[in-house]
Amino acid sequence: MIAIINNLIQLLVILLLAPMVDGLIKKSKAFSQKRQGAPILQMYYDLFKLIKKDSVVSETASWIFKATPYIVFSTTAAAALLVPVTTLLPAVPFPGDIILLFYLLALGRFFMCISALDTGSTFGGMGSSREAMISSLIEPSILVSIFTIGLIAGSTSIHQMMVTMAAVGNPLFQPVFILTFLAMLIIILAETSRIPVDDPATHLELTMVHEAMLLEYSGKHLALMEYSAAVKQLILITLVANLFLPADQLIPFAGSGGFLLSVALYFLRVVLLSAMIAVAEISTVKFRFFSIPNLAALAFILSFLGFLQYFILGR
Amino acid sequence: MDSYFDLLSVLILLSSFILVSHKRIKSYIKTFRIQSALIALTAGIMGFHSLASEGSLDILLVCAIIILLKVIYIPRLLHKTYGNVEYKVEKDFFLNIPLLIIICCALVVFTYFSVSGISSLSADHINLQVVNSFSVILIGFFFMISRKKALGQMIGFLVIENGIFVTAMFSTHGMPFIVDIGIFIDMITAILIMGIMVVQINEKFESININKLRNLKG
Amino acid sequence: MNWFAPDYLLYGSMITYLAAAIAAIIFYKHPHLCTQSAQAGCILASVLGAASAVRLLLSGQEKIILKPFESTIPYVSVSMTMDALSAFFLLILSVLTLCVSIYSIGYTAHYHGKRNVSLFHFLYSTFILSMLLVFTADNAVFFFMAWEIMAVLSYFLVVFESEQEENRQAGLLYIVMTHLGTAFLMIAFMLMFYYTETFDLSASSQHIPETGRNLMFLFFLIGFSTKAGVIPLHIWLPYAHPAAPGNISALMSGIMIKTAVYGLLRFVFLYLGVETPWWGAVILVIGMSSAVFGVLYAFIEQNIKKLLAYSSIENMGIIFIGLGIAFLAFARENHWVGALALTASLLHCFNHSLFKGGLFLGVGSIHYATHTKNMEKLGGLIKRMPVTAVFFLGSALSISALVPFNGFIGEWLTYQSIFASISSGNAALNIAYIVSVAVLALSGALAAACFIKLFGISFLGLPRSDHAAYAKEVPLAMNLGSGILAFLCLLFGLLPLIPLNLLSRVIASITGNGVVGQLQGGFLAAWYPLKISGNNNAVSPLLIFVSILLLAALALAMLRILGGSRRERKYGTWDCGFGSLTPRMQYSGTAFSKPMKIVFKIFFQSSRDLKLQGDHPYHPESMEYTITTESVFEKYIYIPLLVWVTAWSKRVKLMIQTGSVHTYLLYIFVAVLVLMLYNRIG
Repeated sequence: MIAIINNLIQLLVILLLAPMVDGLIKKSKAFSQKRQGAPILQMYYDLFKLIKKDSVVSETASWIFKATPYIVFSTTAAAALLVPVTTLLPAVPFPGDIILLFYLLALGRFFMCISALDTGSTFGGMGSSREAMISSLIEPSILVSIFTIGLIAGSTSIHQMMVTMAAVGNPLFQPVFILTFLAMLIIILAETSRIPVDDPATHLELTMVHEAMLLEYSGKHLALMEYSAAVKQLILITLVANLFLPADQLIPFAGSGGFLLSVALYFLRVVLLSAMIAVAEISTVKFRFFSIPNLAALAFILSFLGFLQYFILGR
Repeated sequence: MDSYFDLLSVLILLSSFILVSHKRIKSYIKTFRIQSALIALTAGIMGFHSLASEGSLDILLVCAIIILLKVIYIPRLLHKTYGNVEYKVEKDFFLNIPLLIIICCALVVFTYFSVSGISSLSADHINLQVVNSFSVILIGFFFMISRKKALGQMIGFLVIENGIFVTAMFSTHGMPFIVDIGIFIDMITAILIMGIMVVQINEKFESININKLRNLKG
Repeated sequence: MNWFAPDYLLYGSMITYLAAAIAAIIFYKHPHLCTQSAQAGCILASVLGAASAVRLLLSGQEKIILKPFESTIPYVSVSMTMDALSAFFLLILSVLTLCVSIYSIGYTAHYHGKRNVSLFHFLYSTFILSMLLVFTADNAVFFFMAWEIMAVLSYFLVVFESEQEENRQAGLLYIVMTHLGTAFLMIAFMLMFYYTETFDLSASSQHIPETGRNLMFLFFLIGFSTKAGVIPLHIWLPYAHPAAPGNISALMSGIMIKTAVYGLLRFVFLYLGVETPWWGAVILVIGMSSAVFGVLYAFIEQNIKKLLAYSSIENMGIIFIGLGIAFLAFARENHWVGALALTASLLHCFNHSLFKGGLFLGVGSIHYATHTKNMEKLGGLIKRMPVTAVFFLGSALSISALVPFNGFIGEWLTYQSIFASISSGNAALNIAYIVSVAVLALSGALAAACFIKLFGISFLGLPRSDHAAYAKEVPLAMNLGSGILAFLCLLFGLLPLIPLNLLSRVIASITGNGVVGQLQGGFLAAWYPLKISGNNNAVSPLLIFVSILLLAALALAMLRILGGSRRERKYGTWDCGFGSLTPRMQYSGTAFSKPMKIVFKIFFQSSRDLKLQGDHPYHPESMEYTITTESVFEKYIYIPLLVWVTAWSKRVKLMIQTGSVHTYLLYIFVAVLVLMLYNRIG
């Protein structure tokens, strides 16, 4: 029972923090452009505003269109259940491994893509088709990276992987981990529709991918979709933070104090990674759509070389 | 110590992959500069180590030369050449970039299969670095094959040279000084000649596409 | 006497199939009665078959032997053995047949008065019976006969709608390719007899030397791969499956191509035994290429049935990946991993027959309602055929390996078996394994994309033609058939241990090494319905499903509390203010797959052509845009081969076929002399 409550607390941390991370990234970008930028909490205001608005549903749309926001949200939140915020608490009894995590996210994406086709809008089809391509191309690198880490940990359980990485101490100074880390960064950029792949800030039909799929949504549906995207982003950031920048080994004491410290450290690492993502975003431009395969190939060879360094070359 | 070299060898390998994934000539030069800086760093670490343990300054000198030559002088030279030619971007490839990257990846695997047969190198710690740095040579070669423009050829040549240098460094932890200097002199002459040639080709044919060299044959 | 013993049930099942076939002939003047009696017979027979298989698996009996009559032909016995492996495939066959037969009651109604329904049902029941015999034959010659009967009957069914030229051509290609495979099988059986002097499958294969084994493996592999339709022997599949009627394609894709998996296990795995690692490696490579190419070709396909056919190639590839890993593991004496991989592979066989059966039935319903197989003419069917749409979506989610469905379980186990296979040591194998992980991931993601396209373009949006606009929901029987399959997909996805427990007995009986002990957990509310012991790899689809439902309810409640009840306005789709949208402005199937076509252009050899008519290039009077893709395998393997064979035959013809009777007599004479000489010497 305690374990379940622990688990729910971790879920709550992710759910509450998610919109703020979006704000953090936007703020860091604004800072680098010498703008003031929107407040860090802007996304919370937006979400509340959207929830209180009427929504417009296309005449063409079927039940899929209305069900999708709920499916996307619940699969993403269920995925968040699988990701421990801290490894200090005993292994989460929730059965699910990292493969399940990515397939849950894929379920959400499946529905997002078909809901985009549901309204018969050209933009929706465009976004859906592009998303299908990007996600298919990035998928091999995801699986190869998580397999590499999983094999080192001897398990595909996320908790187990994080504990192993915490024992490694300073992963980024080892070839295998730096390579998989870089691969994961590209994966995050691609999965969360960030700049080299997609531009979250634009509504230009030539460039948009994720936004094109959400174009027909409004009101509470839109709020749910935007929120799910933020949660998904935080899930991936959490995964990277706890795998590649582990900090739980530094905490000397257990108990609730240790837990709070661990969450505080977690928060610091999330801020750090958000800043890294912001830097990655401002230092590149959005790629031409057909240059994305280059990026995907790069992510793939990064993860593949990581595997090679560890399992073939023995380091 | 060794773990730093592992890391550096991986990063050097990675930089050559990034080189393959680029198609802007300016990015070639930038990536080459980064790769050379990484090599200089490797040589620097090795140099300090040998200074501390044996008191020899050789490798540190080599490191200084690398910084002067490969990080500062040659990229600048290349930039100058770049300013003189019209073509800034490689457009048509024989194969597309993702495929090139995957092929390069296969080259790394191939290198492993080849190098792991050499018994004197199969001591565990040396293998990884040698495989990574040897792959840089092959990737540089392959880069030359896959690029049509003359500047790409030059960069490819330089990457091969980088690869040879790093391989030698990792497998021997410091070559005789005179050998290093010899290689550098060779290289600098080659680069100067090529730099002049590129401008010449550009003037004569209004293009630096080396496919046009085929027109020369009788 | 126990009438519910597996052997009586199996007899009963076979007799009922025969009875159904006879009933179909008797009632040939009354199409309705004919359909109902024949399909009712098949339903009953399949229930009996399933009961027989399940009883055998649960009873723990090793095998049952049926010998209806003594054969007088030397070396040939007409006897059937049902062991656990046969029983498992029989179960797949029976479950699928049950649903397809229910579906057929509705589906064949549109043949009434137009075609010879009696013939159709006769072929249908005997086709299923022949597959049943393939799974139970225990003598190579008898197996071979059943195999041939199956091939010929399925050929007749493929060309059943023979008035269309393309169906006849597809049939021709099919029969040629399948006989090519049969030829290889025949050589393999000959070799078997040559070495062991018996066609009995339970005999030992110890005396076969190494070369003989390798040769037999190659011949078996080519022969069975042709039936499986894996790349590069796949060319018949994308033509034959679309040509057949909807229910027949479901059977062909759902179970017929799996006879190849059965054959490989029966003849290679059990008979020859796996000792050489390269066998597994070859199967793995075939599986990887099939998975990627199959799904790539499926993705760009606009014909909905062809798309499914290509997707079958992909799924056979995944099954072959599992088989390859199992073979490799057994050759390297790693029995536990081998058993796990075999479990994954066979489970995927079962799952694939469920969801692909459901999808082919769904596509059959679309064709029934709209009379078109072209995706570009469909759209908006979810409003016109809501029930079909729901079941189709279920099967599509399942084939995309998404979570609460059974496809995910198969994929997860395959990943886990690869995970368990990778160990320090053999570098080449490790690289092969990690590449197969990448291949599985790529093909899984592409399959999802493919079914987003199939479902999204055909069921959602606005109807693109009158065919789709005036479609009506199909009869209840058809929906029932595909509904059961979709429901089973969900059920076995949530409670994977139901099929896994049965399967584990199969694995235990053929490898002596069960997996169910390793896959811990209980049936219902247990924490870990699927857990591999030794590491902490576990998933609980049921629990995830429940938490998804709870979280969705939470979202609904929170929105209600925070936002209050808000109005929902119906309004047109955003049209940029230009006026009403027409169906032609929607994304088409071709457009959807265009990015992929560009990215993987070397595999498609696509070319496009834009023709403008009129004086001004910016204001053309009409535009014509053609886009073509070519199958690389046909272009670079089959067509050159065909050209070469034709040229060679033309050349040789003139040498052998002189036209003189005396020469022909001389050939026979020389042949007789040579045989007599062989009799003396050899």
